[in-house]
Amino acid sequence: MTMPNDTLGVPRPDVAPYSFSRPFWEATREKKVVIQYCRGSGRYQFYPRPTSIYTGTRDLEWREVSGRGTIFSYTVVQRAPETFRGHEPYILGAVTLDVGVNVMADIVHCDLDRIRVGLPVVPFWAPLPNGTHLLLFQPAPTP
Amino acid sequence: MALRDAVILDYAETKITDKGGRDVWELGAEVLENLIAKVGLDKKEIDGMIVNAASIGAGNNFWSQTTADYLGLELDFCQSLDIGGCSATGAVVRAAAAIEAGLCQVMLLLFADAAGARAPRARTFHGEWTQPHGLLGPPTAFGLITRRYEHQFGLDYRALGKLAVTQREHALLNDNACDKLRVPITIDDYMNSRMIAEPIRLLDSVMPCDGANGLIMMSRTMAKARGVARFAVIEGYGERTNYQSDQPVVDVTKTGHAAAGARAFAASGLSPRDVASFHPYDDFIIAIMMQLEMLGFCKHGQGCDFIRDTDFGLAGDLPLNTGGGQISAGQPGLAGGGTNLIEAVRQLFGEAGPRQIKNTRNAMITGIGGIPYIRNWASSVALILAPDA
Repeated sequence: MTMPNDTLGVPRPDVAPYSFSRPFWEATREKKVVIQYCRGSGRYQFYPRPTSIYTGTRDLEWREVSGRGTIFSYTVVQRAPETFRGHEPYILGAVTLDVGVNVMADIVHCDLDRIRVGLPVVPFWAPLPNGTHLLLFQPAPTP
Repeated sequence: MALRDAVILDYAETKITDKGGRDVWELGAEVLENLIAKVGLDKKEIDGMIVNAASIGAGNNFWSQTTADYLGLELDFCQSLDIGGCSATGAVVRAAAAIEAGLCQVMLLLFADAAGARAPRARTFHGEWTQPHGLLGPPTAFGLITRRYEHQFGLDYRALGKLAVTQREHALLNDNACDKLRVPITIDDYMNSRMIAEPIRLLDSVMPCDGANGLIMMSRTMAKARGVARFAVIEGYGERTNYQSDQPVVDVTKTGHAAAGARAFAASGLSPRDVASFHPYDDFIIAIMMQLEMLGFCKHGQGCDFIRDTDFGLAGDLPLNTGGGQISAGQPGLAGGGTNLIEAVRQLFGEAGPRQIKNTRNAMITGIGGIPYIRNWASSVALILAPDA
């Protein structure tokens, strides 16, 4: 059993959104995951963009989703960038949400023996100074 | 294909150093001076220039102009190219197109960077979506790609180690390679090198360095009129940026080289088995294997088998990055795309000295540019050059 660092001790500044990504960050104040949905194609997209990656139109809306997903891939970071130095090792993952988009985030509270591609995960919210939250993930509770 | 009228006359390169302390424009000036001397140019004859957008130059929105000013160049065509590790190889066809269109006659392609210095923060998606999670840029991104490849196909890390060892052997014969890297390694050294972003090891990774390299191109007619004895021509080229950009979840083991390679091979009339030497962009060892698959040297998912069955040495079936590649010669920042390109031209001219290969009918050079968000890489290019006279 080796529990990697949960990165929650990393001092994280507020994130500066672009005009078109602000709704994502505002929803995190209430720990909600909202994802851009393209009405023309009926598909979701992430990260947020100023246009639909499917149609090139701006016929987009924000939809709240469960935030549940599975591990698409992951890496155990042994050498971190400066702000994360001293917090290694930690797991940085790519998570496929159940609405079919990939999200990059730290995976917390997950033993190194347990992490694997396909592992079900749920959101874990790390608070930021301005009241928004950073979307992280942790293993889904076993039923 | 078009673009066959412009030719590569000559190349030049500085030694690659680990924080050498020389300014990027001083490195560029060394390349310019060497090119003028080798080609026998009057500086005033250079009327076009393409430079790479350098990491050290980030924040200067007038990068090509400023560089031209420092080098004392008066130009009819001046631009910076910002497709990362594809900038050098991509510049060759843009230069050819500009020359054929009559925009300029003598093109300086100048690739220089000093990666040791800190660049200002760029406007990208990283500030919002990757930096808060501690992504250490390329190594972490390739950790995700490698883990996914292993999940889909399995991975023989000793096969990847074979590529690392072969390239290192080639760097030992390259006086321009970074001295720090010119020590022999074994597959065990590769396997035991420390993890950076598991499963990416130290010996999978390029070391950011300082250095510069460049080419002179002009029309074939002009080259012949100057009595040039040898030059290189473009046989085929393909480029793809944001492969599968309209898919929210992509197979990260597939890259734009599938599209770029197909175009390059179709234009040249060649197939992978005709490639005489292979000079792929190498930021991480696994990227070489993924390109072998996507360019059609072997099937998707069978790269390790192909590596085990192939001799990539100087006298082998498919000589690989004969100067050591960036991983064993050092990566001069965003000029790194020029390192393997210049080596390929040197080989085609028969000027590689102790590492000269026999088969110089052609050479394939590639580029990889940019780290996208949970994809493979942002830009892929493939170029086939051949000698001509």
